[in-house]
Amino acid sequence: MTGDPGPRSRVPVLLVVIGLLLAVFAVVGYLGSRDDTAAPSAGTAAEPAARASALDTFIYGAQESLRRKSEDAPLWAQLGAAYVEQARITGDPSYYARSQGALERSLEITPEGNGEALIGLGQLANARHDFAAARAFGEQARTLRPYTAEVYGVLADAYTQLGDAEAATATVQSMLDLRPGLAAFTRASYDLELNGRRDDARMALERALAVASSLDDQAFCRYYLGELAWNGGAVDEASEQYEQGLQAAPQNVALLQGRAKVAYAQGRVDEAIAGFQAITTRSPLPQYLLEYGELLEAAGRPDEAASQYEVLAVQQQLYAAQGSTDDQVAALVAADHGDPGEALTLAQAEWDRRQSVFSADALSWALHVNGRDAEALTYAERAASLGWANPTYSFHRGMILAALGRRDDALAALNEALTLNPHFNPLQAPVARATIADLESNS
Amino acid sequence: MSKSPRTRRRAATAMIAAGATLATTALALLPGTASASSHREAPLISTMPLVDNTDVYSFVSPDKPDTVTLIANWFPFSEPNGGPNFYQWQDNAHYDINIDADGDAVADTTYRWDFRTDDRRVEAETILYNVGPIESLDDPDLLFRQFYTLTKITANGEEVLLQDVQVAPSNTGPASVPDYGVLREQATYEVGKGGQTFTGQAEDPFFIDLRVFDLLYGGNLSEVGQDTLAGYNVNTITLQVPISEVALNGNGKANPVIGVWSDTEMRSLQLQPTGGAEPVGDFVQVSRLGNPLVNELVLPVGLKDAFNAITPDVDATIPAVIEQVTDPDLAQRIEAIYGIPAPATPRNDLVAIFLTGIANNAPTLDGSPAPIQADLNSQVLNADVDPAKFVPSEMQRLNTAVPPSEEPNRLGVLGGDLQGFPNGRRLADDVVDIDLQALEGAFAGGLPPVIIEPLAAGDAVDTNDKKFGDAFPYVALPNNVSVNDPANTQPDTGPASVVPPLNTPGTNLPTPSVVTGIAAVALLGAGFFVIARRRETVAPISS
Repeated sequence: MTGDPGPRSRVPVLLVVIGLLLAVFAVVGYLGSRDDTAAPSAGTAAEPAARASALDTFIYGAQESLRRKSEDAPLWAQLGAAYVEQARITGDPSYYARSQGALERSLEITPEGNGEALIGLGQLANARHDFAAARAFGEQARTLRPYTAEVYGVLADAYTQLGDAEAATATVQSMLDLRPGLAAFTRASYDLELNGRRDDARMALERALAVASSLDDQAFCRYYLGELAWNGGAVDEASEQYEQGLQAAPQNVALLQGRAKVAYAQGRVDEAIAGFQAITTRSPLPQYLLEYGELLEAAGRPDEAASQYEVLAVQQQLYAAQGSTDDQVAALVAADHGDPGEALTLAQAEWDRRQSVFSADALSWALHVNGRDAEALTYAERAASLGWANPTYSFHRGMILAALGRRDDALAALNEALTLNPHFNPLQAPVARATIADLESNS
Repeated sequence: MSKSPRTRRRAATAMIAAGATLATTALALLPGTASASSHREAPLISTMPLVDNTDVYSFVSPDKPDTVTLIANWFPFSEPNGGPNFYQWQDNAHYDINIDADGDAVADTTYRWDFRTDDRRVEAETILYNVGPIESLDDPDLLFRQFYTLTKITANGEEVLLQDVQVAPSNTGPASVPDYGVLREQATYEVGKGGQTFTGQAEDPFFIDLRVFDLLYGGNLSEVGQDTLAGYNVNTITLQVPISEVALNGNGKANPVIGVWSDTEMRSLQLQPTGGAEPVGDFVQVSRLGNPLVNELVLPVGLKDAFNAITPDVDATIPAVIEQVTDPDLAQRIEAIYGIPAPATPRNDLVAIFLTGIANNAPTLDGSPAPIQADLNSQVLNADVDPAKFVPSEMQRLNTAVPPSEEPNRLGVLGGDLQGFPNGRRLADDVVDIDLQALEGAFAGGLPPVIIEPLAAGDAVDTNDKKFGDAFPYVALPNNVSVNDPANTQPDTGPASVVPPLNTPGTNLPTPSVVTGIAAVALLGAGFFVIARRRETVAPISS
């Protein structure tokens, strides 16, 4: 989203107020969630959340140490990298600024040959969705630290998001062959999943789980094992994975989101809504706001859904004002709940930056909602080119094919979406079913 | 949640009343995670303490001098704090102890431990390690059991020495484990003829005051002298075999010197398998350890990952490794700051200690005569070794012909006791002090070594907090109370700080500021020490 609101985009004062409210809620939410994790819950024999993780311990130790020896460039770099990791785990983006500060300090002390700082900067750039910069940092770091597995992690993430699938796979392989641990196995799993090899992807995640030594890492593996099951329509298995993850990390927002969507799939609508309300209070990320809104809409509560979309829209404008470049999700939100023209502008901008399956899908859908289905199909096919079994992508492709009058292909794609996961989206799954019925009756 | 939504709403209202400043602050917190989920952000820095080698020991068994004892440890900072926490061995990995008897930097004998797990917790519907006192290895209360197969690998092939035998469990506390000694005895197995092995938990035998590196800027030496690893356990593999089992050509008389190191390998995964559909991969080395503190005091941060990945035969081909041995950073920095002159380079004394072993005709890298004129522990001393095929490499070297000392000196060769480090390494050898002395040139003029006085006190921790055993497996039983428990402030060998720093009479104690200053320099050179050495647990960072 740019500073130019465009002719149809309105930002009423009301929304600004909502935005400020939201921001405050975010702060309160973060503080609240911290309180929650700091205090051991009564009556629980083992309270894993109360225990300081190895990462917490490291950050504390490094800060202490740097107070005494402020010229330790590698340690500054390691601290900077640890902050990015902490941002990922806590969802608190204020760690990014701290990370940048620590990494810059490291580079200031050792400007040349500072592989550790380059790795950290690459990691930070990936986290901020500046994948081209991450690739550049990673490639510099690789010449300096060819034996360091993290270099390949930074590069693999960047290549994946930039759409260089072959380089991504090769880089993950390098990482696996250097250090077959959690970071490599989780990336291997993602790479296998993107290439349509779900059983292998699950096996890789199980390898990851077997070496996950921290509770947060275990939670990460459980969430994605749950997602693999979920995206394959295995609701019970997904639920079991989410619940096992929550045993390790009861406050993990991603796992709570998993639990909430399982509740919806199993018909416990009120529980699902309560779950998303709690999640969005604690962690008002656009994805969760979007899912919450769609859930409310599907539950026949359009007014409440609309207010979530409004909050989401403002949230995204706030991000845009801060220079965030994640237009891909914004494009999909605009396509489904906002202004089609804006959706296309955003999707095109994202595609211009990176030609990945992710941005191809977003652009295809944005073209579709603007009625440009012939062009849309090219991108939808591109999104499917790796073989990733993604029900949303199949749905998008199916709707485009239907609009083009390619009945059989449309039916195949829409059925594929529902076969993969009948619950893939509370709004789109019913649309898929209706479209299938429509196509079949018009044969 | 501890706060009701109502409370939160009130808080929010109050905060809005506080004005726009707050909102601005809040906005500053948000950007960056525009959508954390639009791409998958996987962990990058992951910890693998289970496969992190911490220390290796090799010595002629004091009570069985025709045997050698080899000890390798993993999983640093294992705290016996009970509950669901315990310290396991990694499945799908190789834990190796390697012996190079002919000096070509390639293992002639590898003892390999492969583990499997029998986890009964899900069936028992608990996350607890045990649901009652563990009184024997097959106690039904023990819900997480591990077993291993021990294989001996030589040029003649692989020989399974032990098949699927049980590991002694973690010590989860006095109530859970009333007598660890019983479990240890049950988990000690005979190996071949005259050998034995134990795999389980032990008190961490490494002793050091880690704070020596942290207290330096305060110059407060009065606090130094405490074993900061006291109270922690490690996972240990101890193996005792007849010297003839590992000596070149089975002849320990003619070929008494062996090189020893440990490494850990994990199984990779092949993303695009060419053969079958199973995406399995080769085992790759993720951790390696020979001499103590090489990765901390000798190698710079940027080389640590490389060193953990390469095998010893590659060491001498990497110029950066050689450079750090022949011209160590640490000695230069100490000279720059404290005026203690760095010994002349190239440091062939360090080449002998770390890369070739000590011998009159030890091969130096530049062809000059060996600076330490003594026949102590290089494989070139073995009668059946062809010196032309010798390859310098980093490993612990032990001359098994040196008989056990009647009165071991914690400073080993530095203290005139040829049975100790750097001739192998005994549990009680004070390797921190010895390594610092060696780096500062104590051996630069050959034997006898010359103590570098300002460094004589080292870290002022001279002994382990627990006594070592007189018989196999020698390591102390694992601690069973939390590290912060007052029981751990009562070391059973008395406070280390009252032990004189050296046996040399009339040694001048260095001033605190010099010692701590040097420690500071050591730290600058070594990076964050705790992290570097114990990186998998404390610092999940590439170091």
